[in-house]
Amino acid sequence: MRASVRSGIVPFLLALAVANANGQAQGTETDPKEALQELLSKALMVTVSARILPPDDTQEETPVWNAESTKLTIPGRSIKVRLDGDNVRIYLICTPYLQDNGEVLLLAQGQVWFTEPQDNENRYVSTFYSIPVSYGEKVLFFPLGVSSSDSPQKNHFNIELEIKIVPYEKKP
Amino acid sequence: MCPDREILSAYFDGEVAAPWGQEIAEHVAGCERCRAWLAGMEGTRRALADEQVPEWRVPMERVRRRILVHVPSERPRLPVWRRQVTLPVPVAILAAALLLILGVSLAVVATRQDMGYIRVTKAPAGGTEYQFAVPYDKVEALLKSVGGSDANIESVMTIPKNVKLVPVGEPRMGKAAEFLRKKP
Repeated sequence: MRASVRSGIVPFLLALAVANANGQAQGTETDPKEALQELLSKALMVTVSARILPPDDTQEETPVWNAESTKLTIPGRSIKVRLDGDNVRIYLICTPYLQDNGEVLLLAQGQVWFTEPQDNENRYVSTFYSIPVSYGEKVLFFPLGVSSSDSPQKNHFNIELEIKIVPYEKKP
Repeated sequence: MCPDREILSAYFDGEVAAPWGQEIAEHVAGCERCRAWLAGMEGTRRALADEQVPEWRVPMERVRRRILVHVPSERPRLPVWRRQVTLPVPVAILAAALLLILGVSLAVVATRQDMGYIRVTKAPAGGTEYQFAVPYDKVEALLKSVGGSDANIESVMTIPKNVKLVPVGEPRMGKAAEFLRKKP
């Protein structure tokens, strides 16, 4: 058995298929529950862990203070963490995006408001980073810089923020 | 007197009727010349009978094709999009299914920027170009409808008051592996 068709119908069928699929994709009414499930299937858990570490010249490695915040978001929607201290205020704004290769591109903005204790002068630093990361890979943010043996400042606390992004998994 | 060659040829083929045939047979029996001519005819017939029939189909087909090539087509040539294509039904069904899949794939690609999406292009000079495609109007409306708001996305941590922090340099960020602490 053979079917005979005009070859000119092929582009027509293709256009029809595309139009049909587009129509389904851009349906006027979307069930909010279905849309929410769709969002959750691509949702990401962003965990920000803040730690204050003792000065480098001590042998102690246990953080003197830590806090953790886990937020659920979707690719392209930012989460914001604010750290309030006596003389410092730190903002960390993380926006994860999905890349073509399935990995995550983390766009992060750090803002630091700092008051110098001695002259009571305010300082503001804003930085922007884009880092491609795999799921679960840790990214560190040092809002006040990274201390080293060359650092002129001694006997001070170090603050670091750890960012980790994993896919959202619904708990059973 | 010897009979005509055509009559002898007819006699050789057995086409001469009885009374005339009898007379020719009597003549041939006594005529050296006619017997020799009939012997030559017999030799030719045997030689032809022994010759193998030549294979004529292949050259015939070759000639036929040459002729067909030069015969002008009676039907006018249709444009490509109006030509008729004959396909087996399973192949036609498969082709239609493939077209449908292709169409759906194109539609998915065309609408995938509904979710957050970014394309990163590394420039030869070392720069990086970020192309964003994030239409958020529907997402924002949906999040509001399920109770989300920008206020919920921010979390606040309070650093203890007894910890005095001092800047030691410019802010830095990178993968954890880049900041491995040196053990004493």
